[in-house]
Amino acid sequence: MADLLFTEFLKLKRSSMFLISILGAAVAPFVVVIATFIHEPATPFNDLFYNVNLYTVLIIGAPLYGVVTTYLFNREYAENTLRNLLTIPVSRAGFIISKMLLLFMWIMMLSIIAWVLTLTLGLLTQFDGLDTSLLRNSLKQFSTGGLLLFVLSTPIILVTLVLKNYVPTIIFTVVITLINVMAGNSEHRGLFPWAAAGDISNHTLPSTYPAEYSYIIIAGTAIIGFISMVVYFTKADIH
Amino acid sequence: MSKISEIIKTTNLTKIYGQQKSVDHLNITVNQGEIYGFLGRNGAGKTTTIRMLLGLIKPTSGQIELFGEDLFKNKKEILRRIGSMVEVPGFYENLTARENLLVNAKIIGVHKKNAIEEALEIVDLHHETRKLVGKYSLGMKQRLGIARALLHYPELLILDEPTNGLDPIGIKEMRSLIQSLAKERNITIFVSSHILSEIEQLADHMGIIHEGKLLEEIGFESLRKRNRKYLEFQVSNDNKAAMLLESHFGILDYEVHDEGNIRVYSHLGNQGKLNKVFVENDIEVLKIKVSEDNLEDYFTKLVGGGAIG
Ligand SMILES: Nc1ncnc2c1ncn2[C@@H]1O[C@H](COP(=O)(O)OP(=O)(O)OP(=O)(O)O)[C@@H](O)[C@H]1O
Ligand SMILES: [Mg+2]
Repeated sequence: MADLLFTEFLKLKRSSMFLISILGAAVAPFVVVIATFIHEPATPFNDLFYNVNLYTVLIIGAPLYGVVTTYLFNREYAENTLRNLLTIPVSRAGFIISKMLLLFMWIMMLSIIAWVLTLTLGLLTQFDGLDTSLLRNSLKQFSTGGLLLFVLSTPIILVTLVLKNYVPTIIFTVVITLINVMAGNSEHRGLFPWAAAGDISNHTLPSTYPAEYSYIIIAGTAIIGFISMVVYFTKADIH
Repeated sequence: MSKISEIIKTTNLTKIYGQQKSVDHLNITVNQGEIYGFLGRNGAGKTTTIRMLLGLIKPTSGQIELFGEDLFKNKKEILRRIGSMVEVPGFYENLTARENLLVNAKIIGVHKKNAIEEALEIVDLHHETRKLVGKYSLGMKQRLGIARALLHYPELLILDEPTNGLDPIGIKEMRSLIQSLAKERNITIFVSSHILSEIEQLADHMGIIHEGKLLEEIGFESLRKRNRKYLEFQVSNDNKAAMLLESHFGILDYEVHDEGNIRVYSHLGNQGKLNKVFVENDIEVLKIKVSEDNLEDYFTKLVGGGAIG
């Protein structure tokens, strides 16, 4: 598995996707901090973190991480490298899991970058209210958001593996974002896994349903996605 | 022949896509040390067969034995003994040739230190240290594909149209590369092509596939024997002509066909002399034909000719 993971890193060498994804992750911190600085400079630091995390998890996260996911999996089809790998041979399940491991690190890195940028920009623009407990809590919130979105990436991987194209994934993740936005004021939003992920990471889950419901729905989505994607991929014909 | 010398053996191998039988009850046998040419026109089912041999797609029915073992019972171990290139080889275009081979070496667990260097040298790409594979020409990619297939010292090479898109010199180089691999490394080679002359120059055995079915499997030696060149005379009196052939030239290797056609399998190039003797003995010679490129005829006859592709 270490060798597989090593090759996954190697495949990213000189890849522009890395930089592009960082730019994507930087959008929310910049927009939120600058806009707040211009319109309401008296806002407490806490709100900066809250808003950046809200936008990152609910709006930017699904499409951005979706594109990263598709890049990781789809390129093996697009560049015709998969049939080489599978004939040397590599275990199909091991292959998928090493890619997921990389995806996990990538998403977590982007989450941390968003956090660091918020912190740095907030300090530069001199917002008030930063202390160690805020640092700790906000970092935890960003990581939780990243972790949940990673867990929820399995259905997105499935779509990529089955349809082998960027377009379906982009449509899928944009629909997720749209539902997140429309459900923003709904008391039932805890039942939609991606919206629930945002609320869980920001501690804003509505009390309409027990929190367990949201956890179970997220876990269910992730597990069903994972099993179907592994089953599909281990059985699929590779052309 | 002992069983272990059969490197590839398929039994009623079939792949159906929807209504179409892309590969239809295919029975092929490739023996150790052979260069086996797999000949078929576009869409004949060559790539589909190769994908099944490599476990990339599942047969609809039928068996595959490689090295005398059922492929699906011991896929991982069997695949380690095979190097392959299916259609146009794909690479990580943002990486160099070495880095691309490193991906394979890591995954297969090639521990020999200079295996990558050695493989690149065989295909003459060891000087390209900086260039990214995305900037490679088609011919270079094709060669790199061979290097990648050789990286883990396979006993069997499966190559799907390795000369596709190469220029004449590239084709020649690829041919001598494949032949030297067979000879010097004793690798059994299964190579597909849609060009008969290419297979003829390269392989010692050949299987012909058409619309998914195996039409014939034959060694070139016996094929050449069967498709010998000949002179054909259409004469007014075939009895007399035959007698003359025997008495005057001592030719016994001839056949009399209908309508006064005589085929002579020796004395090729001497049609003038033969003709003269016929005419001097009052035999009218209506037509003289020198058979040409029999192999091509043979192939056309087998697959039915007609439109290309
Ligand atoms: N994934 C697929 N789905 C449906 N039909 C397919 C698929 N792959 C191949 N075929 C069909 O199977 C037949 C054989 O195709 P194959 O690629 O094996 O031919 P080939 O002999 O390799 O031809 P070429 O010389 O053009 O490469 C073709 O008619 C093709 O359309
Ligand atoms: Mg083909």
